[in-house]
Parts: sequence; C-alpha cells; structure tokens
Amino acid sequence: MPRTTSGTRRLFRWIGNGLLLVMLVWTLVPFYWMIATSLKADREIYGFEATLVPHHPTLAAYVRLFQQTPFLKYVRNSTIIAVSTTAVSLVFGCLGAYALARLRFRGRRLIARGLVFTYLVPPSLLFIPLFAMMSALSLVDTHQGLILAYLGFTVPFCTWLLMGYFRSVPLELEEAALVDGCTRLGALIRVVLPMSLPALAVVAFFSFTQAWNEFLYANVFVNSVEVRTITTGLTLFIVEDVFFWGPMMGAAFLSALPPLVVYLVFQRWVVKGLTLGAVKG
Amino acid sequence: MTSGVDPAVLYPDERAVPTPVLRARRRRSLTGRHEARLAYALLLPALLVILGFVAYPFVSAVYLSLQNKPVGAVGRFVGLANYAELFRDEVFFQTVRNTIVYTTVGVSLKFVLGLTMALILDQKRRFNNVFRMLLFIPWAVPVVIAALNWRWIFDDLSGFLNNFLITVGLTRDIISWLADPRLAMGCVIAVVVWQGTPFYTMTFLAGLQAIPRELYEAAEIDGASVVRQFVHITVPRLRTIFLTTVMLSTIWTATNLQFVLILTRGGPANRTEIFPHLAYVTALGARRLGMGAAVSLAFFPLLVILIVLLTRRMLRQTDD
Repeated sequence: MPRTTSGTRRLFRWIGNGLLLVMLVWTLVPFYWMIATSLKADREIYGFEATLVPHHPTLAAYVRLFQQTPFLKYVRNSTIIAVSTTAVSLVFGCLGAYALARLRFRGRRLIARGLVFTYLVPPSLLFIPLFAMMSALSLVDTHQGLILAYLGFTVPFCTWLLMGYFRSVPLELEEAALVDGCTRLGALIRVVLPMSLPALAVVAFFSFTQAWNEFLYANVFVNSVEVRTITTGLTLFIVEDVFFWGPMMGAAFLSALPPLVVYLVFQRWVVKGLTLGAVKG
Repeated sequence: MTSGVDPAVLYPDERAVPTPVLRARRRRSLTGRHEARLAYALLLPALLVILGFVAYPFVSAVYLSLQNKPVGAVGRFVGLANYAELFRDEVFFQTVRNTIVYTTVGVSLKFVLGLTMALILDQKRRFNNVFRMLLFIPWAVPVVIAALNWRWIFDDLSGFLNNFLITVGLTRDIISWLADPRLAMGCVIAVVVWQGTPFYTMTFLAGLQAIPRELYEAAEIDGASVVRQFVHITVPRLRTIFLTTVMLSTIWTATNLQFVLILTRGGPANRTEIFPHLAYVTALGARRLGMGAAVSLAFFPLLVILIVLLTRRMLRQTDD
C-alpha cells in the first residue's frame, strides 16, 4: 500500500508540473502581448505585417505617450486622489477602530456589523444615486468628489481591519500608559499605533491600490482632463472606435506598475485583507 | 471632556481590587458614560462617511427608482412605473439570464482552477514562491487594464489570438471573438476567470497551509490513498474557506461591469448584457437616472441575501 501511495504521489507531481506550466502560460501571455505591443512601431502592430515578436523594438509609443497625450496629468490626478484617500481613511480608520476595539458603549456590535455590510455593498449599486448627489453638491469633476466617494469603501475596510489588529495589542501596555497619565488618545498614538505599524502599512497600501485601480466612480463622476484619473484616461485612447494600441499598452503597462509593486511587497497579507480576516493567511 | 479621561478615575483602587472581573465592573460603572462619549466621538468621522456615502445613497437609490429623472433635471414621482416598464422589457429578462450564466460559470471555473492551482502550489517544488508570485499578478493589475489588454488580444485583424492561431495553422479564417454572438459570452467569462482565479488560489492556498501535516501523515500510515486524504481531510478543513471565498467572489463577479463595458458593451445583440452594465447604460447612456436605479435595485434582492449571510459569517469567524 505505501508503495502505491508514493507512486500516485509521483504521478500527481508530474500532473502538477504540467498544469503549472499551462497556467503560467495562460497567466503571462497577456502581459507579454501588452509589453510587446508597446515596443512595436505601428507598422508591426496592425494589418498583414503584424508580428508576434517585435522585430524592430522601439520606444516610440512611450515617446508619443509622454509628449502627445495627457498621460502624466492622469498619473498626477491618480496619485493625488489615491494618496489623499489613503491618508484620510487611515486617520478615520484608526480612531474608529480604537473605539471599537477598546471602549465599551451601546451599539458596538451594530456598528461592527455595519462596517462589514458597507464593505460588501458594491459600487455598481451606489454610483447612480451618488452621481445625483455629486451633481447636487457640485462635486462632479473635482478631486474632492472622487476622494469622498472612495472613502465610502476604504473607511469601513480600514476600520474593520485595524479593529482586529488593535484587539491583538496587549492591553497591559496601554493600561500602564493610562496609569502614567496618558489620555486615551495619547495611549492610541504612543502605544497602540507604534505596535500596529505592519497593520497600518497593509491598510495604507490596500486603500492606495483600491483608489488607484477604481474605474466606475472615476468614469461617472469625472469628465474633464484636469481631474481624470489613469484608469479612465486609458479608455480615452479609444477615439470613435479607432484604437491607439501602442501608446495604450505602454500606458497600461506603466500604470499597472504601482499597484503591482505594492502587491509584491504585501502579497502575504493580501488574503487576510480582502477577506476581512475571515481567511487566515 | 470627551478625550481626557483621568486615569485616576479609570483605576480608582487598582491594587485593592485585583480580580479582573471586579475591576472591569467597577471601571464600567464609574466611567461608562465618559467612555461611551469618547467612543462615539472617535467613531464620528467613519460613521459620517458611511452614512453620507453608502447609507444615504442606498436609500436615495430606492427613492430615485420611483421617479422619472433625466440627468440634470428635476425628478417626477411615478410610483412603480419604472419597474413595470422593466418587467415588460425582453432585454431585462435576457439580462437576468445572462447575469446568472455569467456569474455561475465564471465563479465555478474560478473555483476549479483556483483549487487546482492551490493544490499544485502546495506540493513541494523548487521556486514555488516565484511561481506563486507570477500566478497572482492578474489579480494585482487594475481590472480596466486587464480588460483593455484582452480586448486587444481578441482583436479581429491584429490581435494576438487570431495572429497566433493563423501562424500555428489552427485556423485560416479570421474569428471575430467578441462580435460573434456564440463566442462573445465565453470570451468575456474567460477574461473574468483569468483575472479572478488568483484570488481563489490565494485563499485556498492559505487554507491548505493551515492544515496540520500530522493529519496527512497519520492517514498515510493508515494506508489512505491520496484521493481519500483529499476527500476526508482537505475538503472538510477547507469548507468554511470555500464558502467565504465563493460568496465574496459571487458578489464581486456579479456586480463588476468593467469587463463587459470594455470588451463588448453588452453586445452583440445583448448577448453579454449583465445587470450592472444595463444599469450603467440606462442611467448614463440613455440618461434616465430613475430607470437606472430601478435596474440595479431589481438585481439587489438576490445580492442582499448573499451580503447578509456573508456579513454574519465574517463576524463569526473574526470574533473567535
């Protein structure tokens, strides 16, 4: 019996290796195509002379991207919006999470439940009334409008995740600080936050990537080039069904880099974050 | 007085009452009100955001769906007229069918592929962490970029797929992947699966690695086959993760309109029209905000069941 088991194990190993190869190809070919396209001249991109591998690699598409399109403006807008969203949701999240983790009050469970519920309500349900709201408040076409809309999903998310982490910070340290004359806020800033740096980093990068990658709100609440973010800017390379695939793929590649780098750094925590801690990663 | 709580008030006779139970009770009775006031103050910003940008829009969606409201004009109350019109519309029922197919097929494929990949990455192998990193990349890239990239791959004349198939000699005709009514939905689902599988792989792998090795070793000694080990150890241990992942992903898959918006815009002939995209087109294309709200709300009852179940599940799992 043990021999058959090790035999099947070897078999599964080889099946595993084969499937792994297939999955790697399936996963990576699109990225190959993206980068290859961005390195081709138009002649190699379209028509009968289209190539699978760039024969004459060129950075012309990138030059066009930077010189003839508002790409850098989009990047600037995305950065402003993602950084502001992150900063605000960190502050709001820390305050709320501390209250939920450490203080006793009526409605604590209800609020905690509300946070999860809010995180799960999809933006595609909210964008129509939010659009009406933004128009009424003249927040359409402003950075502030988008930031506020993004807070709607980053704040509940940050608060919930930080609450879980704050609970794991030993109570004794904080009590000692309180006895030494610290206020509650003082204890939060001097004791709890320094011990929660990894959680803060994770939450910050989650908010950043969510705001950076968001498309629906950005597409609906913004029309002007001055405010447009990178995700919606990319779709503008389609003009009346004529595509500029070279610069577009170049732009796609460049704007996928920030969230990708962030993800590679934080991949270990990604699972725990997205499932709000329901799956231990 | 909300933020400055005097520690002397908090711990009036810390050493005299050493038992934690007593101390907690005493603390609560003395400073309960201060503590509650401070808590509400700390929570205020987060609650305002949630009330203003989630709760209020949600309620106003209901009210909006009862109005005839063009973009930029004052709404007129029409009762249930929007819903009545919707339920007479053939496109609406086609959208219901499409959304169900799109979501169930997408989620099932992601589940199967994700579980397979997790099991493979759980085997001992050199460079496994490199493979894992590479396989997770689609998840980290913005969905718009993934969708645009695939639209370019599916391109009739110059896209990678036709280009490749013709070069290899598998076909001589140009295939219109996204414009062919028989192929369009399959293509959209393929992209959804490509982008969403890594999330399944990640959660399942996390679950697999949390199973104690001893269980498998004991089963091995008892002579249980690999398949039996999978059925009797792996599956039961992963059950909660399966459920959580599938529910989360169902919500995300069913409500994401970016794939359809960029790949097919619901075409050809509404073959790939799904709820969130129909709501988008109605509200912003036809500029009927009230009707658009009605479309998304018609879809909401199904969703709310999932959201409520999932909320309960997540609270339970993170509480202990």
